[in-house]
Amino acid sequence: MISRRRFLVWVSSAVPIALVTRRADALAAAWIADDVATLRALAEAILPADLGRAGTVKVARDFQRWIDNYRENAELVHGYATSVLRFAPASPRAKWSAQLAELRRLITASPEARREMVRADIKDLRTDRMPAVGAAPHVALGLLAFYYQSSEATDLCYRAEIGRERCRPLSASRRAPLPLGGGRHETSP
Amino acid sequence: MKHLRERLGEVVESDVCIIGSGISAAMVADKLARTRLATIVVVEAGDDVPPLDRRAGLRQRFLDYDENPWPRDHLEGYDVEGPLQSRSMCVGGLAMHWGGVTPRFSPEDFRLKTQFGLGTDWPISYEDLEPHYLEAEEVLGVAGEQGPPEMDPRSKPFPMPMLPLSYNLALLKEWVTKAGIAMWSQPSAKNSVPYAGRAQCCRNDTCTPICPIGAKYSPDFTWNALRRTNRVKLHTHTLVRRLEVDARNRVVRAVAVKVGAARDAPGREIEFRAKQFVVAGGYVWSSHLLLSSRDSRFPNGIANSSGLVGKYLTGHRNVQAYIRLPMKLYPGINEQHSLVSKQFMRVPPRSDGRYLRHDLRVWESTSGQAPRLRDDSGALMLGDEILSDWRRRTEHGVARVRAYYDVIPDRSSELTLDGSRKNPWGDALPKLALRDAPESAEVRAWTEDTIRALFDEMARTGNGQVQRTQSDEFQDHPAGGCRMGKDPATSVTDSWGRAHDHENLFVVGAPTCVSGSCANATLTFCALSLRSAEEIGRSLPGKSP
Repeated sequence: MISRRRFLVWVSSAVPIALVTRRADALAAAWIADDVATLRALAEAILPADLGRAGTVKVARDFQRWIDNYRENAELVHGYATSVLRFAPASPRAKWSAQLAELRRLITASPEARREMVRADIKDLRTDRMPAVGAAPHVALGLLAFYYQSSEATDLCYRAEIGRERCRPLSASRRAPLPLGGGRHETSP
Repeated sequence: MKHLRERLGEVVESDVCIIGSGISAAMVADKLARTRLATIVVVEAGDDVPPLDRRAGLRQRFLDYDENPWPRDHLEGYDVEGPLQSRSMCVGGLAMHWGGVTPRFSPEDFRLKTQFGLGTDWPISYEDLEPHYLEAEEVLGVAGEQGPPEMDPRSKPFPMPMLPLSYNLALLKEWVTKAGIAMWSQPSAKNSVPYAGRAQCCRNDTCTPICPIGAKYSPDFTWNALRRTNRVKLHTHTLVRRLEVDARNRVVRAVAVKVGAARDAPGREIEFRAKQFVVAGGYVWSSHLLLSSRDSRFPNGIANSSGLVGKYLTGHRNVQAYIRLPMKLYPGINEQHSLVSKQFMRVPPRSDGRYLRHDLRVWESTSGQAPRLRDDSGALMLGDEILSDWRRRTEHGVARVRAYYDVIPDRSSELTLDGSRKNPWGDALPKLALRDAPESAEVRAWTEDTIRALFDEMARTGNGQVQRTQSDEFQDHPAGGCRMGKDPATSVTDSWGRAHDHENLFVVGAPTCVSGSCANATLTFCALSLRSAEEIGRSLPGKSP
């Protein structure tokens, strides 16, 4: 009987026959759910330590939800100066599931070893920029892109409660955002 | 027979038939409904947009997956050659996803020929349009700051206090002031306080493409109000294919077809009869409809005795720069809001005879500061390495600086019918080509160099550095195609938007512009439309106060 890992690897490299892809996706959905521990181990390996364990678990959970709610062929926002319409490509779920299955060894590895294992897996990918989440060629890059596009990541970078793209009082925009964890407002000149 | 067709809904009669439901159409319908006793019918090829209570969810899908927050806001089979501003064709039109930015043109825009010796003067002055600017600002709900009066002439305050300058913009204003540039809060159709039953802006920062709370004006609010009170009848999924003219040169009917997801028989023909017709299809579909209305009597389309329907398409290009500055900014406080200046719009003719007018805007930016995966040596980063690298690269601030500059349109800047591309009903689609008049083409390189030199100077003043600059080929806020004028030989409509050739046909908003200025143009489209509505309304009985 074909192993789960072999099947996913085969699916990810197979021609994109819609029926097969849909079936693979359905299977992959369940398998990612089985691989929650792997996803968490991956998140702990590659996300910043400042997030803490609870923060890392939350990002992993939100990332899984992102995958679950992905809609293939959804109409994408159409830009100015063109009449071209764009649609969401095939879900990365099957490919990522296969990669995640390959990473199950992370669960038993030490925290230091985990990061080096992931680094070895993706160091040769063409990854200068943070990719768009859905276009990430590897689940680790998808997870990184997912986190670093978030409002929370911006706050962590600036160590401030900016709350980018969140509903916030207009009047508070005059002041520098509060430091993360509370503090006094700084007013611009 | 006639009564049977009316009962079947195949003939719709009204006092005023407005074709299109974008922001210009909304201005006309709203003003006529407010001031006149008239039956008003609006015909829109696209669908209704999702209601306000669904927009938070649609916005989230946009943020998470880049999905179109206005799904199916276009017609199938409308792949147009040339720089189409947007595929949007829906109730509310392009203004469903506009940025809500509402500067006025400046007085010079209306007298370029007289003052600078190039282009064409408008048949109206800034002063003629000023009351309608005020009216448009009231209808849209504009929050603004009075700029220096010599740069920003206006006769009354804005209806709402300005959007506050964010912490970032206040720091950036200090910088540009040192550079000798007067800048102020960009006027915007966004609620700085609750207005017209709509919420106060809370910096969701996705004004383009979608405001989830209705703090930004969009035309659906006007249509909802008018439809709720039965002051207009709006036909969606109904594409007007041609207008027909009688022997007295009056437009007598608009011939349409039910399209797309029309629940009532797609493909069914429907005819609109009215005393007055208002073409409000923006810079593309207005000219396209007039040209498509050709027959043996009007082989070049209607309203086209000048041969200028579809000609003199106009807009403005831009040069922008990202300037690294030694200041700590917090991008994301209110990213879509900006500073604006008219200092370089309100200029006298230059002594060297060259022509240059441009606006100037400044935003906070994250350009060049996004988190990255590889460090400067190319090594892959993970874990804390990415965050540390990101923090190091965001210790300084970045300003985005952009100047729209005037482009004088050539006659050959045009929309024509493209015989090689047809819509599903066999009508030729439009083909677009925006071209500079020779006097603009000659100075284009110098214009862009001069603007880049200004950016360099601004950077130096702030001990900063220009990281990169870019120029767009695309002309933003496109307009024209049915330009207004006094002379029927050199224009399509009079200053009210009334077609010279047909007394009961009006073209409103963007298509009537003579030139595109060097500032966002939507407020001007609205002001022109309200001015047209005044003239359209003169033949209709007024409402008693």
